Amino acid sequence: MSTHPSRTGGRLSPLAREQRLWGWVFLSPWLIGFVAFTALPIVASLVFSFTDFKLTSPEDVSFVGLGNYRRLFVDPLVKVSLGVTFKFALISLPIAVVLPVALASLLDSKWLVGKPLFRTLFYMPYVVPVVSAIFIWQGVLNNSSGWLNRILRSSGVLGPNWLDDVNWIYPALVIIGLWGLGNAFLITLASMQAVPTAYYEAALVDGAGPFARFRHITLPMISPVVFYNLVLSIIGLMRYFEVPFILSNGTGRPGSSTMFFNIHFYKTSFVFFDMGYGSALAWLLFGVTMVLTGLLFYSARYWVFYAGGERG
Amino acid sequence: MGRRLASLALAMLLGTALAQPVTITWYVGLGAGAQPEQKAAQDAIVERFNASHPDIRLEIVYVTNEVSVATLSTLIATGEAPDIIGPVGGAGSAAFAGNFLDLEPLIQADGYDLGQFPAAAVDNQRTDDGLIGIPFASFPAFLYYRPALFDEAGLAYPPSEIGAPYVLDGQEVEWNVETLTEVAKRLTVDANGYDATEPEFDPSQTVQWGFANQWAGAGVARQNVTLFGPGTLVDEDGDAQMPDNWREGWRWYYDAIWTHHFMPSADEDGSDLLAAGNPFESGNLAMAQSHLWYTCCVSGTEWDIAALPSYDGTVTARLHADTFRVLKQTEHPREAFEVLKYLTGEASLELLAVYGGMPTRPGDQDAFFAALDERFTQGVDWEVAKAHVAYADVPSHESVLPNHNKANDRLDQFKSLLDSQPGLDVDAEIDKLVADLQAIFDEVR
Repeated sequence: MSTHPSRTGGRLSPLAREQRLWGWVFLSPWLIGFVAFTALPIVASLVFSFTDFKLTSPEDVSFVGLGNYRRLFVDPLVKVSLGVTFKFALISLPIAVVLPVALASLLDSKWLVGKPLFRTLFYMPYVVPVVSAIFIWQGVLNNSSGWLNRILRSSGVLGPNWLDDVNWIYPALVIIGLWGLGNAFLITLASMQAVPTAYYEAALVDGAGPFARFRHITLPMISPVVFYNLVLSIIGLMRYFEVPFILSNGTGRPGSSTMFFNIHFYKTSFVFFDMGYGSALAWLLFGVTMVLTGLLFYSARYWVFYAGGERG
Repeated sequence: MGRRLASLALAMLLGTALAQPVTITWYVGLGAGAQPEQKAAQDAIVERFNASHPDIRLEIVYVTNEVSVATLSTLIATGEAPDIIGPVGGAGSAAFAGNFLDLEPLIQADGYDLGQFPAAAVDNQRTDDGLIGIPFASFPAFLYYRPALFDEAGLAYPPSEIGAPYVLDGQEVEWNVETLTEVAKRLTVDANGYDATEPEFDPSQTVQWGFANQWAGAGVARQNVTLFGPGTLVDEDGDAQMPDNWREGWRWYYDAIWTHHFMPSADEDGSDLLAAGNPFESGNLAMAQSHLWYTCCVSGTEWDIAALPSYDGTVTARLHADTFRVLKQTEHPREAFEVLKYLTGEASLELLAVYGGMPTRPGDQDAFFAALDERFTQGVDWEVAKAHVAYADVPSHESVLPNHNKANDRLDQFKSLLDSQPGLDVDAEIDKLVADLQAIFDEVR
């Protein structure tokens, strides 16, 4: 059994103590920021969720016990907004997972010319500020003057009312969301390029075709990254807010189809000033996200392959 | 010796503290004032105030309109509330009802003369919390129109005198909502040159619209039906209702978009053809009902103003009245009132020019309109605007509702639905709205 070189008789050496101190000093900006802007607000929101705290009358706060949590079960908008969020997730999640893999495969192909250019082009939209991108898309998808429908019209097809038709709003949101796939695509591509070529060479010797190589080598090898993208996508969906909020001004238009959970939460807290109940909504969202992420981690043992044999 | 030095240091510290001016924060963004082009003039006023008031330090904070309500509510919650907010109208004030300081004691202590304003304007500032503002700016609504589009359609211009008739096809007819509808349809044109009264008209190819309520969207849904007279959504028992005239107004509004096609839908309003949300400015809208504040954002000289049409023999012109308010949370009410007097007094003409607001103080109105004439050289008859003040909607479309912000949000959803969804049963949607409003009102009973 070895002992730590900096320990003498179970105690830290002066050098190790000094290093530890400096470690804390260098960590302190992040720690202070984390405590002030993340940890304390989390604790505060938990406390608020047991009160009737109104933003505009902070002096009249009283303890309401589990009242706000009971309200979650009778508030019809909770059901509506969770339904909207899950419905959109069912449409957008498969695309958010499959498309980066498809794009990465394309860019990993030896037959493709101009890879650096395509890499840049696919990643570029990711650096456009989200609000600007939404305004741009709002113009592009406009039924009357948007160029997408103009193109369709010029080819004799009457384009849909993307942003004001309940049947087309989710495809429109997915199209807008495609702009944010640059990061997932780049990470997937990097993981694909890190797969040892020896595996492919061995598979070729065994007579494996391109599909078999992709199915039995590429996919398992990049599965940790697919899993990572999936977790981030689910968390992203649970905090989906900017796009529908800017497009519909928070009205949930068309119909209630864009009344995502976070819009309900935002309006409750910052438009109706009901921060007590808003905090309960936030904790419900936290719970749902945790359950989904937990299920995902549980399922990972069946489909995520770690080359080292251990789960991350 | 040490004690003496300590006493001296303490005295110096106290002296410094006593000499420090009181800081008053002025929060701009709930109404006009936060546009980039409006800041320089306000900054200059703050500088001048600070130079002439050594005991008060005025600090101005600009917040963009979209986030101004959320930001102010957060500031109040964290004990960092500003001292003064404004300019703010009825809608912005209603969102924070109960948070404003009653100015009556300060006015009495100061001997401030409220007699310089029309009594109705002073009464307009009275709420359950007392007198919460000094009259400052009035923004009557009237009709903006583009003469060139009327000429092109061979139509007479709308009358500039309230109650005067309109000449349609050589006949004098009452300038009412029905006439406006007919005129607006003739002014609505598709890409093939057909107007909305012709069977060949294709609404999917509309390139010019006849009429719209300019900027009557989020937070102010009720102002879309004031052409049909004033109204309130709260009956005598405090229950939700939709007055008959407003019910008819909403039906007309919906038909204007989806049946007659002379009013743009939400999608059309956001299109490039209508300057992505500023339809009258685009030049492709013939008539717009809007307020005097819209002079902020209309350019060129190819427009004029006219009288609003009547409904059931009566003209109703919605009125916005903006001013500054002192928040209850202020620690320096006397100094805040001093700033308030300055903003609504010495600096008022300059600020009113920035905000496009007509001075409520009658003696200042000529100078205000003379300044507007310098900007708009086409020779607008501003008497038309002044005349509409007498037709103000009472009760106001901006009046406070029970559980106001939530009720207003439900109204926004209702309007948004009408703006974006064809084929609705409007009466059924109104009934649904009233039922929902009732539930929202009941939450605070």
